[in-house]
This record gives sequence, structure tokens and C-alpha cells, in this order.
Amino acid sequence: MSWAEKYLGKVRKEVEKRNEDSKIAVSVQGVYKSFRLPTEKSWGLKQAIFSRLKGIKGYRKQEVLKDISFEVKKGEFLGIVGRNGSGKSTLLKILSEIYLPDKGTVSVNGTLVPFIELGVGFNPELTGRENVYLNGALLGFSNKEMDAMYDEIVKFAELDQFMDQKLKNYSSGMQVRLAFSIAIRARGDILVLDEVLAVGDAAFQEKCNDYFKSLHGNQTVILVTHSMENVEKFCDRAILIENGKIACDGKPSKVTKEYLKLWS
Amino acid sequence: MSFLISSKKNSILLKELVKTDFKLRYQGSVLGYLWAVIKPLLMFAILYVVFAKVLRFGDDIPHYPVYLLTGTVLWNFFTECTQQGIHSIEQRGDLIRKISFPKYIVVVSATSTAVINVLINLFVVIIFTLINGVAPSFSWLMVIPLLLELYIFALGISLLLSSINVKYRDVGNIWDVLMQAMFYAVPIIYPLSMVMSTSVVAAKIIMINPVAQIIQDIRENLITNVTTTTWELSGVAWGLVSVGIVLLVFIIAVLFFKKRSKYFAEEI
Repeated sequence: MSWAEKYLGKVRKEVEKRNEDSKIAVSVQGVYKSFRLPTEKSWGLKQAIFSRLKGIKGYRKQEVLKDISFEVKKGEFLGIVGRNGSGKSTLLKILSEIYLPDKGTVSVNGTLVPFIELGVGFNPELTGRENVYLNGALLGFSNKEMDAMYDEIVKFAELDQFMDQKLKNYSSGMQVRLAFSIAIRARGDILVLDEVLAVGDAAFQEKCNDYFKSLHGNQTVILVTHSMENVEKFCDRAILIENGKIACDGKPSKVTKEYLKLWS
Repeated sequence: MSFLISSKKNSILLKELVKTDFKLRYQGSVLGYLWAVIKPLLMFAILYVVFAKVLRFGDDIPHYPVYLLTGTVLWNFFTECTQQGIHSIEQRGDLIRKISFPKYIVVVSATSTAVINVLINLFVVIIFTLINGVAPSFSWLMVIPLLLELYIFALGISLLLSSINVKYRDVGNIWDVLMQAMFYAVPIIYPLSMVMSTSVVAAKIIMINPVAQIIQDIRENLITNVTTTTWELSGVAWGLVSVGIVLLVFIIAVLFFKKRSKYFAEEI
């Protein structure tokens, strides 16, 4: 083989790898995360000085994530399941760049829109409209982008007549519906949702279900949930996290079985 | 390129937060935004009656009422700015825990209401200055860089202390007390000549404080030459020390904030 052929082969491999990479939406490699939990009850300057003098560290390390690696393909609907305190939310916060991992890397291909909680920054004294724009700005959308999404959000939430009312005059169901509509109508490449599916009344739930089904293959979604029913209904793939490690990664039916085994 | 996009995003977010803060501040009050003007004027009225009329301070300073008003307006700006700024990170914990965005935006937006207020107030000051018979002059333009210096100092302190305040909530309280003390350590209600007649050294020490330097400089440029600035009292070198303190605090604050802000979401 001449050097030219060798070189061409190398280039071809490079291109293939790049094509492969472009199909990956999120790549998580060897992520570790630990928290320092204070052992003393009281915080503040006094305690800090006392602890320093006594030579007490004042905290203990809690390892929450240990060597997490996985990839999410473009258009994939990934479910993340696990017990309370297994590290799911911490993982989502690392994906959303809210926490920094101790070790490892997270690379995101495209824009990631995180919904760790619905209606972040919602203020009861502002109108529905103002809250939508404020929430949008917090998620990194410009006013122009929000203008384009606004009508759809309001329509989906079915709150046309209430948008100029203050949020404090909304019922709690209406508030959640508005927040949820922003979440699913936000145009990002990757949608990250934490436990936010069960909102609104039966009719609204039905609508959300239809919407999630329609997303299939078109939108990358990462969803943390405790509902195995939702995992089987919506997800293409699921990951079970147990004690900060990936215990199972694969088809939803397999993962939900493993999940239920945790209690048997 | 990505930097440009993110800085555009950040400015949108900043604008939105400032708008919200300002909208909410005077919500539910009949006079609304007018309070931004009324409050410092009432404060001034009290100080004027107590210190100019009863205690007869400032008899030797021409245009003493506006002189006093300028001082209180600037001092109010400094306290409002720092007090809002220091508590801003802790107050916006709900956002920081749930969304990733540059944290300095929170501090800047918290101080911005104070900036809007001081601009409105200075407008009132200038009207009073004209009514009081001071002729407009080009030296008025010096107010702009001096005000900027004061803001940089306040922002620096806010960035620095707000990031410490995340872990040690004592900082906010300590600062409140410190501000009470500093109010009397800066020649706002009394003329500096009163201190100088007792001890020139004490006056010099007082004037190294950037807040004192800025207030006296603005008064001299805006109202009257019959006042003492740091530069006149202690020389150019000490004036530069005062400006240097502002820059040093700001640089340290930015570096410290940048380092600590990565962990705000976990620590708050």
C-alpha cells in the first residue's frame, strides 16, 4: 500500500468518525461527582473558625456519581430511572452545566434546554405573558425567538384569555400548565426534563401524551422519571442508575424489569 | 463566535431581570416610581433640618443644601448598590440551583435598580443646583467618570462579598453595620473643615476612602470650589491611592467571583 492510499484511508476513517459524532447529541465520559456535606448543624463564620481551630474538617465527602459514561443519539428519547437519591438529578444538573463534574467530560452537540424544575423564575406579581418572556430569557432565548414560540405556548396551555392577568391570580393547575407548555414548546435540540410529566387534569395529560408520542425520532429528549409506564410508553432506551453507577442500559422493557427488581 | 452569541444571550437575560426588578420594586404603591425621587428628598429634608438648621453645620459652605443633597444621593446609591448586590446571589438561589447562566448577571441586575435611581436623583440634584444659583459649567462632565468610579467600587464589593455570603451569611450583616459606621466616617452631613480644624491627619485618613474621595470630587465639580478634595488635601499620590483601591478591589473581586461562581449551585 502506497503512502497515498494510507493517507486516504486515514482521511476516510476520520470522516466516518466525524459522521458518527454528528449523530451523537450528548456524550458523557467517565463522570464523577461528590459533594461536601457539612457535619455540623450550624453554618456561618463562627463555626468555620471553630472548626479550623479544632482541626475538624466540618464536612464529609459523599460520592454521588461514580464513573458514569453513556451517549445519547440524535432523536433518541432516553429515560433515566433509579431510586430516590441514586444520583439522577445530579446527573441532569451536570448535563445542564449547573454542576461541574469532579472528573470526566460532558459534550453536548447542539443547544440543550434544561427543565430541572418547571417555571423557574416565575414571579406571582408578573403577568402570564411577562413570565413567559422572563422564563425564556433564563433559558437563553432571545425576545425574537420567544415571539416565534409565544403563540404556540399559549395555545398549548389553553390560557389565551389569562395571559395579561397576574400569575398570582392563576390556579395552581393553570400555573403548571403554562410552565409545562414553555418546557415542551421550547425549541432546543435537546430537551432535558426532570419528573415533570404528571401535570394538569386528565384532558391535558392526554394532550401531553399525544405530544410526546409525536416527538418520536424528531427530538432528542432526556427524561428522569419514576413512572415505568412512561418509560415504556415514550422511551427508545433507558438507563438505570443505582448507587451512582449505571446498573443497566438498554431497552425500556429490560430496564424497567431491573428497576422493579430493586425492591424484590 | 460562540462568545458573541453567549454575550448577546446574557445581555437579553440581564435586560429581562432588570426590567422585572424595576417593575416589582414599587408594585402596589400609589406613587409608584415617584418613590425613587421622593425617598431621597425626604431623607435630605430630615438631614437638612437636623444638621443645617439645628446644628448649623456648613455655614461656611455656599449652596450647602444642594451640597448636602448631593452627598446623601451618592451615599444612598452606594449603600443601595452594595446591600442589594451582596444579598443577590443568596436571594436568587432558586434560579442558580436550576438553570445554568453566568452568575455575575444576578449581581449586576441587582445593582441596576440603584443605578437607575441614582440617575433619576442626579437629575433632581442638577435642577436644585440650578435653582440654587450655581452656574452650569464644563466641570459638570467630570461627574460621569466619578460616578463610574463609585459604581465600579460598589460592584467590586458586591461581587466579592456576595460570593463569600453564599457560604457565610454573616457577611451581609457585618456589611450593614459597617455601612452605618462608614456613614459617619465619610463627610456627608458634616463639612470636612470641621475635622481638619481638630486633626488634619484624621481628615487625610478619612479622605483615602474612595467613597469620600468621590463624593468630595463630585461636589467640587458640580457645586462649589469651597470644599476640600483628596487631591488638594493630601496630594495627587494619595488621590491615586484612593482610585487604586477601587481598581484593586474590583480586580480581586472579579477573579474571586469567577473562581467561586462555579460552585454556587452546590453551596447555596
